[in-house]
Amino acid sequence: MRGTHQVIVRNNRVQFKFEVSRNITIIRGDSATGKTTLIGMIADYERNGAASGIELFCDVPCVILEGPRWKRDLSFIHGSIVFVDEGNAFTSSHDFARAVRDSDNYYVIATRESLFSLPYSVSEVYGIRNSGRSSSRYPQVSRLYSTFYQIYDPSPSAPFIPELVVVEDSNAGFEFFSELFSRVGIPCVSAGGKGNVCRTVKDASEQSILVIADGAAFGPEMEGATSLGAYKRVRLFLPESFEWLVLNSGLIGGSDVADALANPSDHIESRDFFSWERFFTAFLVGKTRGTYLQYEKRALNPAYLQDHEMGAIKGEMPKDIGVSL
Amino acid sequence: MLSIQFGHMPEAIFDTATFFRNVYLDAWLDDPLAKRMIKSVDKSEVLGERLIRSRALGLIPPTDLSGGVKTLLLIYNMPERVFNASTCGDNCAYWILEIARRQDITINLRHIMNFGRGRFSIKVLNTGEVAHSMAELVPMAIDHLRDGMEIDRELERTDLREDPILRVPPGAMPAIQRDDIAFGGDRL
Repeated sequence: MRGTHQVIVRNNRVQFKFEVSRNITIIRGDSATGKTTLIGMIADYERNGAASGIELFCDVPCVILEGPRWKRDLSFIHGSIVFVDEGNAFTSSHDFARAVRDSDNYYVIATRESLFSLPYSVSEVYGIRNSGRSSSRYPQVSRLYSTFYQIYDPSPSAPFIPELVVVEDSNAGFEFFSELFSRVGIPCVSAGGKGNVCRTVKDASEQSILVIADGAAFGPEMEGATSLGAYKRVRLFLPESFEWLVLNSGLIGGSDVADALANPSDHIESRDFFSWERFFTAFLVGKTRGTYLQYEKRALNPAYLQDHEMGAIKGEMPKDIGVSL
Repeated sequence: MLSIQFGHMPEAIFDTATFFRNVYLDAWLDDPLAKRMIKSVDKSEVLGERLIRSRALGLIPPTDLSGGVKTLLLIYNMPERVFNASTCGDNCAYWILEIARRQDITINLRHIMNFGRGRFSIKVLNTGEVAHSMAELVPMAIDHLRDGMEIDRELERTDLREDPILRVPPGAMPAIQRDDIAFGGDRL
């Protein structure tokens, strides 16, 4: 499945309206905000259709996945948005992660547990906000309107000068940032994978730390990363991926590049790419093959460290990182 | 005293909503603390042992309370059991501490619950240490959230170097030179 899909689910008491644009969406947040109510309504509609008293509007089927026979049930579901409520332990299993990876469905999962086997984006972790009432066609009943909001909002913060930079990966991205920050005397270390980022920050002796990680798959680590702010100054820079930064920098021309960056969900087939970072990597490799900017994940092409090229990529970094880079 | 086991804990009751539906007693809702928790978390008023007025849902039975409140009621009324408190949002954290002031309880967490800016005493069973603030609790949580989980290297692989879709033949890296043709247009 690809594309962005709007979902409206409502009965006489409550309406949920939201969009799903990637293969994995997480719903969490405070208790009693309506997560189970939403999924219960979809389940009612799936059983009885309009006869349930529920209206559901979406251009693809919306279905529920639950119980011990989830694997068998999922084998019959294609091209759908699959909703899973908390209380289903299989969501943290490797079997479920593999099923999602090889699937042509989108998944909306209600859980507070960090699903470390699933590469979901920081921007696809939502809470539900109840935004007030208005009258339905039955005056004695007023409907509560509920919408999704991003839990991790990357708003610009005050100028920040890090004592240490922690980069998620150990490949081309790390080589780039290591060189970039070495030019201003700021040490840069590799965490060796997103699963090690929080521990690397926790164990570092420095108190002001900039974390650079692939936002497209860093979702499971966000809770730890944001919680570290309880006792350290941690600034998160979470572009979709390093490859996305390169594509955004203007170094790689072409109308297809601009279109892919503007409307990635229309280009990324969920069955082919477990996360958007993999798409942007494959896209960049393909676009630069045979050119002086030929990109390879395992080792950074030195061309990207030339002043012009480095400057273009650096220009995509947030200005509140108050270092004269 | 509150004790927390982080990570996967097979003996904890994971699906607290189902467990609540099958074990709760009407008298649970007649308790003053229960009424306060339901008012605070669910913004709902207990009208009787079997009836609650919900601002969002109207008149509901106890089984339609939020998952977080159900878990709080289980923790409060069955302190001898361990429940998955990751069914509770941060708006339940105050009440977990309140219950722990009255009796010793143990909960299982698979996420980092925010217990606020104040001081508290929480024993982390993974380490045996007692945390008195989030600054002390967070590092232990980070170290132990994956306890009990098997690591699947293939699934958690973030090193894409061996991904066949990305493999470039060795020695294929061109010499460094700025080629103006590479800029703009679709000639790439």
